[in-house]
Amino acid sequence: MSALATYSAQFERYANALTAAERAPRSVQFSRFLDSGFPHKDLEEWRYSDLTALNERSFEPDVSASDDALPDLLLDGADTLVYVNGQVYPASTAARWHSDTCALPPPAVGIDALNAAFAAGGLRLRLDRGTRLDRPLQNSTCSRSDGQPTMSHQRHLIELGDDAEAIVLLDFSGIGGERLSTHFFDIHLGRNAKLQLYRIQNEAAGGTLVTRIDARLSRDARLDGVTVDLGGGFVRHDLDLALAESGAEATIAGLYAHARQSHIDNHVRIVHAAPHGTSRMNYRGLVDERTKAVFNGKVVVQPGAQKTDSEQRIANVLLSRKAEVNAKPDLEIYADDVKCAHGATVGQLDAVALSYLRSRGIDHDTARAMLLRAFALQILDRIEWPELRARVETALHLPAELTLDIDA
Amino acid sequence: MLLEITNLHARVEEKEILKGLNLSIKPGEVHAIMGPNGAGKSTLSNVIAGREGYEVTDGSILFEGQDLLALDPEVRACAGIFLGFQYPVEIPGVSNMTLLKAAVNARRKHNGESEIAPNDFLTWVREQAKKVKIDPKMLSRGVNEGFSGGEKKRNEILQMLVLQPTLMILDETDSGLDIDALKIVSDGINALRGPARSTVLVTHYQRLLDYVQPDFVHVLARGRIVRSGGPELAKELEEKGYGWLEAA
Repeated sequence: MSALATYSAQFERYANALTAAERAPRSVQFSRFLDSGFPHKDLEEWRYSDLTALNERSFEPDVSASDDALPDLLLDGADTLVYVNGQVYPASTAARWHSDTCALPPPAVGIDALNAAFAAGGLRLRLDRGTRLDRPLQNSTCSRSDGQPTMSHQRHLIELGDDAEAIVLLDFSGIGGERLSTHFFDIHLGRNAKLQLYRIQNEAAGGTLVTRIDARLSRDARLDGVTVDLGGGFVRHDLDLALAESGAEATIAGLYAHARQSHIDNHVRIVHAAPHGTSRMNYRGLVDERTKAVFNGKVVVQPGAQKTDSEQRIANVLLSRKAEVNAKPDLEIYADDVKCAHGATVGQLDAVALSYLRSRGIDHDTARAMLLRAFALQILDRIEWPELRARVETALHLPAELTLDIDA
Repeated sequence: MLLEITNLHARVEEKEILKGLNLSIKPGEVHAIMGPNGAGKSTLSNVIAGREGYEVTDGSILFEGQDLLALDPEVRACAGIFLGFQYPVEIPGVSNMTLLKAAVNARRKHNGESEIAPNDFLTWVREQAKKVKIDPKMLSRGVNEGFSGGEKKRNEILQMLVLQPTLMILDETDSGLDIDALKIVSDGINALRGPARSTVLVTHYQRLLDYVQPDFVHVLARGRIVRSGGPELAKELEEKGYGWLEAA
């Protein structure tokens, strides 16, 4: 059987159930996928992340909604929209934000085209001008694989009207063996809209998860994002922000930590397309065991985007000889009156600090955990949702007594 | 005997620093170790505390009768040894309070006791902080983060007061202190003096000894103790310098 043949068989079956009008654009996407296959190392954007092994794999489409008990990941105080293998979980309290359909992008390539060819609907959060989501929305996407590897592809939308506000958690988790999921999010923020966006990823070791967030910020809109990667097999996340109108502000903080064997690739791109935009990018990685982390941060200041104020900081700690980090900050500036700073570091745990803590009676493992937490703290402090923060700290396996700072 | 050092040889990165050092300390005694730069004073402090990077090639150290060299640094600390560092490290992200609490509880665990109650802990720390004039607000900051040189040294003394060690080793704690800070630091050390607790003051200058009266003064030169005496020896050193002993 030739490469990608199983995907063709799946697509044929899938397309047969569609109307001709539905089928046409998806067939275009699928043939583009067949032309390009999965992304490989020769593509600049995929230099350290190769998915060509998937060309030969075979994934069944997901079928029924699972009504098994969910892992304990729903957070108190949030409305929930939960997908288990692409199907809406019946007990979701925010099912009103689900849409069966989705808009397709212009003809794409590679995995974007694969997603577009098969894409089902997903989250569709639309807030009218001046409205505010009362409670945070937890959009959980849970992968389960018990036998035959399966795949699901979804497209989601978040649209905040002018002055609208929301807190949204995109929560990716997985249980079991091999699986492939792709999730694409389109985000539009109206004038002066505010979105607090969290993305937490804790996929299973056999899971391949490709996610992409495209966000467009209008005048004075504000996006505060925190993204945390804690596991997964192969994880690729693209975050693409366009500060399209003047005065827009984006603050993105990211942490990848505690993974053991994962391949975690974060690509973040912020485009300043209008004047007086502000962007902050602060990523930290604790890279352990055989994990391979890739970070690519890029800021583009387009002509005319004067008075741009941008900063990107990337810091990594390598905790094992077999771990690997490829971190690259990147800056393209086409305007002259701007303030842009960037820097990337890769280091090791501070041996002097470790020895200091031990000299006070604290055992090696606890001292190490204290320093790991200290390193991650800049990012953890950005999680302003207490239940979510507690969950992340628990997942990091830090000693409980250290996770609460005591005020004197 | 609280501490008994016999024929201690130690090296740092292949360079032999201590060359057969002997020192005995009884409970309640205060010993000053003086000597020229490079004599091995800091090496001695660090070897007792068990810091990494120091290799003992010969000799022994007994602490309350047990073989100290066989213990990890954290176990030595739990057993009651405290080293006040010459250059205390800054640890952003680990608050002073978190460090103190983890250290107190490590000690209690070592002694088979339960964790300290949060209120008792806070009261205890506040009481000690007052003694070294540290504003408790500073303690929610990272360890020594943004502290001045004097504040760092006072913070070392605070940790010592909180932990109540049996053997206090103060490595050049007086260096870089103005008179007011020196007074505060000395008061902290004196507050802990008692019949069951011993002190080793490692210092280059006689100044600290005006505030903390030693029972014994030793001169460390070329990796050994070359002269021992009472407090009057410190005065003699202040006048004559170390040259006459090094030549001897």
